[in-house]
Amino acid sequence: MIRSPNAIRAYRQQRQPLTFARASFYAFFLIAATSWGFILLSGDSGLTDLFTTKTWGNAGRFLSAMLGLNSELTPAYLQASRWMDTGKLAYHTLAMSVLAIGIAGIGAFLTLLLAARNVSNGDLGGAPSRAGTVAYHVTRASYIFSRGVPELVWAMIIVFFLSPGILPGALALGFHNYGIVGRLTAEVVENLDPAPARALRAAGAGNTKMLLYGILPQALPQFITYLLYRWEVVIRTTVVVGFVSSGGLGREFILRLSWFHYTDVSVIIVWYLALVIGVDLLSAWLRRLARFE
Amino acid sequence: MNWGGPIIHTGGGWSAIQFLTALFPPDFSPDFLAIAFKATWQTVTYAVAGITLAVAIGLPLGIIASGTILKESSPWRTPLIASTRLLLGALRAVHELVWAVLLVAAIGLSPMAAIIALALPYAGILGRIYAELLQDVPQQPLQALRAAGASPLRVLLYGYLQMALPDMLGYSFYRLECGIRAAAIMSFVGIPGLGFQIQISMHDLLFSQVWTLLMFLVALIVLVDLWSTRVRRSLLA
Repeated sequence: MIRSPNAIRAYRQQRQPLTFARASFYAFFLIAATSWGFILLSGDSGLTDLFTTKTWGNAGRFLSAMLGLNSELTPAYLQASRWMDTGKLAYHTLAMSVLAIGIAGIGAFLTLLLAARNVSNGDLGGAPSRAGTVAYHVTRASYIFSRGVPELVWAMIIVFFLSPGILPGALALGFHNYGIVGRLTAEVVENLDPAPARALRAAGAGNTKMLLYGILPQALPQFITYLLYRWEVVIRTTVVVGFVSSGGLGREFILRLSWFHYTDVSVIIVWYLALVIGVDLLSAWLRRLARFE
Repeated sequence: MNWGGPIIHTGGGWSAIQFLTALFPPDFSPDFLAIAFKATWQTVTYAVAGITLAVAIGLPLGIIASGTILKESSPWRTPLIASTRLLLGALRAVHELVWAVLLVAAIGLSPMAAIIALALPYAGILGRIYAELLQDVPQQPLQALRAAGASPLRVLLYGYLQMALPDMLGYSFYRLECGIRAAAIMSFVGIPGLGFQIQISMHDLLFSQVWTLLMFLVALIVLVDLWSTRVRRSLLA
């Protein structure tokens, strides 16, 4: 029988050692409690408003306006021309997402070798050089920076320089995803089987040949899979980037909302969901192809 | 859509040069650093509050979608699982900022609207992943529990959750990093934080302040990323 407090504490610690994960969990719990405290206590959090009939009345009115009830105007979803016009914007949005993934993919592909540790330290054959080490750190830093800045912030910055349209949005999405895809593929290259690349090196192949014949055949399926996964995320985000870069569905969404054309908003949301579901299905199919199953 | 216009708009080149030269140096004056630290803290509070709400919504939905608490013979099993999966899919199909814009239009601008907007798509993602992790749990210990006469709830608590918890926690921590970025862009609907300050500095053409804020944002993301990587490594060990 364990009785003394010290013995109980010792027994507990033996059963549940304070691992880093456990400590982090407690730390997160503390941060969460503080955060909720700050939000709920500092002025008007809006929590109490959630339980008033006024708020729910407003929400109900908003929903019925989106459905076009209680309005003498013809709702947008009953007009074929509105569906066509919005469809054209949906096509622009799709083009923006493909362009963005293209930019991210090309950027990541071009920096693939620089960002892989096993290339820069000569693990795949070839002499380690100071230039290689510097390039490794610079490329990794560029990944971290472009990944750390959200798409919308990139877009806010880019529209200061470029004319509004598809391109600034695609660039913003491309910059953000360049960092994500770059990091993921660099990790793929670091984890792949080094034997083919070393053999090529030993036979006198340069960097380009080693990339083409030693690394790409192994890394390409994974690279394409990551790009397709990111495409699914990008298509959801194109609308948001369109808010500020004024391209595609995003601009129309914000404009219609501010003009109180709520039935048009419904049409846009339906097109948006169609794009998201369509890209999800297409990407799943292409990913199966990319794995050569 | 005008495709024929210039790519760089009038004055765009000048702004770009101004923006790039503003990096040397960024605005590190004590007054502005205080603003940046406050904005960083606000972004963290919104991200953490949103993620906790997302876990609170996503966990029960994920448990239902995994089908682990429902008897095989129950006639409700298939429709309940299918409808929960559909709900999770619908939640994550819409971007958090689109949720935010819609919620602000429906219930008005308040911190809670932003937190709910952040929590809804994250609940959809977390719920789906939780369901998959619960289904991947090895079956023998569960059969032992059932054979010993444990109720479905007990099997869930001491079998499924016990075994899937490290992976579930690890994934939730990974999502925290994305949550920080999501909280930062909630500025678009008028929620204070790093994104909001970036927007203000951008509109005032104070580009050296923008660089400072970008550095704070990237540093915060890197910090959370390092933390969550270490947590996941510790959980797997």
